[in-house]
Amino acid sequence: MKFIFDLDGTVTSQETLPLIASHFHIEQQIAELTQQTIQGNIPFMESFIRRVHILGTLPVSEIDQLLYNVRLYEKLAAFIREHNEKCVIATGNLDCWVYSLCQKVGCKNYTSYAEVENNRVAAIKKILRKEEVVKFYQDQGEFVVFVGDGNNDMEAMRLADVSIAVGMTHYPANSILPFTDYLIFNEDALCRQLNQLLSVVQE
Amino acid sequence: MSSAKSVIISCAGIGSRLGLGQTKALIKINDRSIIAWQLELLKEVEDIRIVVGYQAKDVVNEVLKYRKNVIFVYNHDYFNTKTGASFYLGARHANEYVIEWDGDLLVHPDDIKKILAEPGEFIAYADITSDEAVYVITDAEGNVTGFSRQSGDYEWTGPACLRREKVKFTPGNVFEQIEPHLPIKGIKIRAFDIDTYDDYKRVTEFVKTW
Repeated sequence: MKFIFDLDGTVTSQETLPLIASHFHIEQQIAELTQQTIQGNIPFMESFIRRVHILGTLPVSEIDQLLYNVRLYEKLAAFIREHNEKCVIATGNLDCWVYSLCQKVGCKNYTSYAEVENNRVAAIKKILRKEEVVKFYQDQGEFVVFVGDGNNDMEAMRLADVSIAVGMTHYPANSILPFTDYLIFNEDALCRQLNQLLSVVQE
Repeated sequence: MSSAKSVIISCAGIGSRLGLGQTKALIKINDRSIIAWQLELLKEVEDIRIVVGYQAKDVVNEVLKYRKNVIFVYNHDYFNTKTGASFYLGARHANEYVIEWDGDLLVHPDDIKKILAEPGEFIAYADITSDEAVYVITDAEGNVTGFSRQSGDYEWTGPACLRREKVKFTPGNVFEQIEPHLPIKGIKIRAFDIDTYDDYKRVTEFVKTW
């Protein structure tokens, strides 16, 4: 059994992008891009590449340190640490930005990759497709539970054996709701459901 | 696994027989939605699962006004399935015992206490009031031995409590899901469900007596 978690707004109780934008005073650039993406004017992949072009000029180590300090849902993080062999993080974020944060969460993680030169992003090498992580574990015979909230979680949620949409940080994307089995807005309820899944699926 | 019971409230249907144009959980009884009444009456229950389908977002938003720690369960095929499917979906990852609760059912507060204190499996039934009821047949001890569309001793209203693993998928009704497991202990309660406009008028009077 594998629990695959989106990172931003699912395990972290703050969205990381606005945090970076505010730290480096580039709120307006990021806000325009986010707005266009949410309205569906820019597809996710293009939006991600544009985002990296904006943020890639910023010092990688500073972003990594900034995100290390982002707040987590602590009860959820405790569940992940307690069952860390059954939990993985799947995030579209670049490995160089979320390395320390993922270490803090304390389970295996799948991210997008970039080449880093002189503490700056030089080139994107791989953009994570979360559905591939779901398929990877299903091919190994695992029962996969996916927990997420965003448009880029949609395909993964469609494929997973059980999908949980969460609305703890913001209301989940409408696009994922047709593919979700559960919708949860509260950390206690989410942890209760994860424990019940663990118990029922393993019976 | 917690030994507590999960309560599964089925709010996925389109409420077509009632004809008030919305899913029954959102119908107002004396200025308060049915789901708001139910959440107030079931506030002591930790694991509440609300099955949504038709008007899901409206039901979710209504529930969140009163309580955040519920688990919403989607019945995406609500148009082609009945309460049995919603009960199955709500129950499949729940506690060891699951209590099915129709989204249009209001139970007297004193009887809710009795139901929640009842150990193990049971079926609750009420005096016959509806014109289009499913009836419950009981033995001398009050155990439920059968259901009937024609006649019976009481009206089947729910709630009913089963062990989770007995709740198998059916596109049909909950009572059809329960039938293979009879006899089951019966509990007489004061309860009304709202299938027709006459039921609706009766319930608005019923809650005034609490």
